[in-house]
Amino acid sequence: MTLPPSAQRRLTAAVLGTGGISKEHLGFLAASRDIDLVGVCDRSPAALRHAAETYSTTGFATFGEMLDQAQPDVVHVLTPPATHSALSAEALEAGSHVICEKPITATAAELQDLLAVARRCDRVLTENHNYRFNPEVEALVALTGDGPLGDVVEVEVRIHLPVTDPAGRFGDPNLPSPIHDLPAGVVHDFITHFTYLVNYLSGGARWERVASEWSAHCGAAHIPVDDLDAILVGSAPWGPVHGRIRFSALASPDEFEVTVRGANGYAQAELFSGRWVENRPRRVGDQLNSIANLMIGGVNQFLGGPRSFARKIMQAGPYAGLNRFLEETYRSLANETPVPVGPEEMLAASELIDRLVAGRRESASDLTETTREGQR
Amino acid sequence: MKVFITGSTGFVGSHVVAAALGAGHDVVALVRPASSDPFPTLSSHPRLTLHRGDLRDPRTIAGAFDGVDVVVHLAAAKAGDFATQFAGTVIATENLIDELARSRVRRLVAISTFSVYDFSAIEAGSLIDETSPIDGSPTDRDEYAQTKLIQERLYREEMAHREVVILRPGMIYGRDNLWHPLLGSELGPVFLRIGSRATMPMTYVENTAAAIVAAIDADGVGGETINIVDDDLPTQKDYARDVEAYVTPPSSVPVPWPVMSGIAHLLDRMNRSMLGGRAKFPGVLVPAKLDGRFKPFRYSNVKAKRLLAWTPTISQRDAFVRSLRDDVLTEVAGRT
Repeated sequence: MTLPPSAQRRLTAAVLGTGGISKEHLGFLAASRDIDLVGVCDRSPAALRHAAETYSTTGFATFGEMLDQAQPDVVHVLTPPATHSALSAEALEAGSHVICEKPITATAAELQDLLAVARRCDRVLTENHNYRFNPEVEALVALTGDGPLGDVVEVEVRIHLPVTDPAGRFGDPNLPSPIHDLPAGVVHDFITHFTYLVNYLSGGARWERVASEWSAHCGAAHIPVDDLDAILVGSAPWGPVHGRIRFSALASPDEFEVTVRGANGYAQAELFSGRWVENRPRRVGDQLNSIANLMIGGVNQFLGGPRSFARKIMQAGPYAGLNRFLEETYRSLANETPVPVGPEEMLAASELIDRLVAGRRESASDLTETTREGQR
Repeated sequence: MKVFITGSTGFVGSHVVAAALGAGHDVVALVRPASSDPFPTLSSHPRLTLHRGDLRDPRTIAGAFDGVDVVVHLAAAKAGDFATQFAGTVIATENLIDELARSRVRRLVAISTFSVYDFSAIEAGSLIDETSPIDGSPTDRDEYAQTKLIQERLYREEMAHREVVILRPGMIYGRDNLWHPLLGSELGPVFLRIGSRATMPMTYVENTAAAIVAAIDADGVGGETINIVDDDLPTQKDYARDVEAYVTPPSSVPVPWPVMSGIAHLLDRMNRSMLGGRAKFPGVLVPAKLDGRFKPFRYSNVKAKRLLAWTPTISQRDAFVRSLRDDVLTEVAGRT
């Protein structure tokens, strides 16, 4: 990454936590010519040494030592979600800006408290909303409003992932993941993506009604919930907007599908494979419009194969947005301008999570009733 | 002797449990919490006890080594992404070693793998033995090789604290694992039979288990690294011909080793010169991964025979027959 000439200040960065996502953060920092990676910290000595050697940086056995000795401008908090709040606060108090993995906190109230710490310390706190920065999502936004799709009337975000697979990290019954203890259970690992995307793609719609159905289809005792089906109804300056959020561990194949429907047509992106579908006004007149869309769609489908293959080979996958998020965030920090994911976006995402989770408690009582019905 | 065995329910582990019981040891088998019936044929053996736990969670093995003389560490993750295999192999070993520090365990029999060798740096046709170089920069290797290399480093560091003997089995075969990955690889719908004349560093699972059990009480093996392969190693062609009487091979397309190697190296050069090394190809098209499975070498078990007083007693022909039997574990374990 190269920051523009306007970015005068070199920033130093340190990483806390060396789990799966750290590879993306550390890879970005190590490749940057404008950021100095000054340290990494993990409680596992073997994991710490591996990360420090792989990315040619200093390993610190404790977070306190890293903050004291490296004094990083920015700390990436990549630890398990339940620890984000306390560790982010510690970094802010020590004078570092914080880039925290999602979900930054379990509730909006907890986020409010953490933002207050950031304000008091005059430091920046931001949360990784990486898919917002994926090129496909940017392309969807460009089609709306003054674009060919017109004003947004409906947004749908759906994820299918086999999170209940006993061989996977979430479904493993031998070492149940702590994610199941969060308010949305295993769905909490993905729920921030849902909320910031529906907020972003709807143009910041105000959600007036939120209904969510939560289920535990797999029946495993250590997985209290594995399915979310939610409907949102709200309004934007141009009129009503509907939202749909769907998480399924049953449906196949693995997908992360984002659909935007406007007054004039729709477009859909699948973020894992890069598949793209659109149906919008073409310059052929109303009578030929559907035929033109089918023909253009057919060509797109045909070319989608080689594109997806090239994307896989070149590892330009779903994390493409993370690099852009980090680039833009560091550019803002260097220039002392607002970061792209600020308090407003974080709070909006978090408050919507709270409202979705409120439905979990209701679903749980409904489920109990249904079970009772079945037993009768 | 009281022996604690990790990875005890796996393909190799169950045979090591049976062989250790057969050798007269008291065995404590580490069994993961969700395993319902880990040893259906051995569970009533009078010298077998189970310890429920998962090495990734140190709390579950606290105090597990009380009264234990030797730990045989077989547990490792063989599938999943790097983070998953790192947790299942490296973090698990780190936790095990932390618990060893709180125990009076005399010896650790540490199971490594042939995958740690730097096959690309070793000339084709050379002898691979315990003095051959291991991979010092394994970023092009698969997750299994990368994490086993880190694990082996932990084993070496533990040598400062107790007797550690590192065993590196070759490619282990046996029941449910007869048609072997060293014969070729799936590439989309096609099974590529890569090469035919390379010698396969095979070891039948019961022979492997016997070597591991020999390392429990062999004298003078602390600090040693020992390769485990059988005698009379087959070529790919011979093994494939012999095994076809016992399993149905997949539909295959033969590809000579020089052709496959040439394609992989050409792609590698193009990747580095034109794509900045960012492209990630399937494993059989990556030279470091391809060399690890199909490059022709020679192998030796001289050190294993000398230090462990071990001989691979089961021939390949007998191994195939025994692989189809259901009563091998109980026969080996005995009842007393």
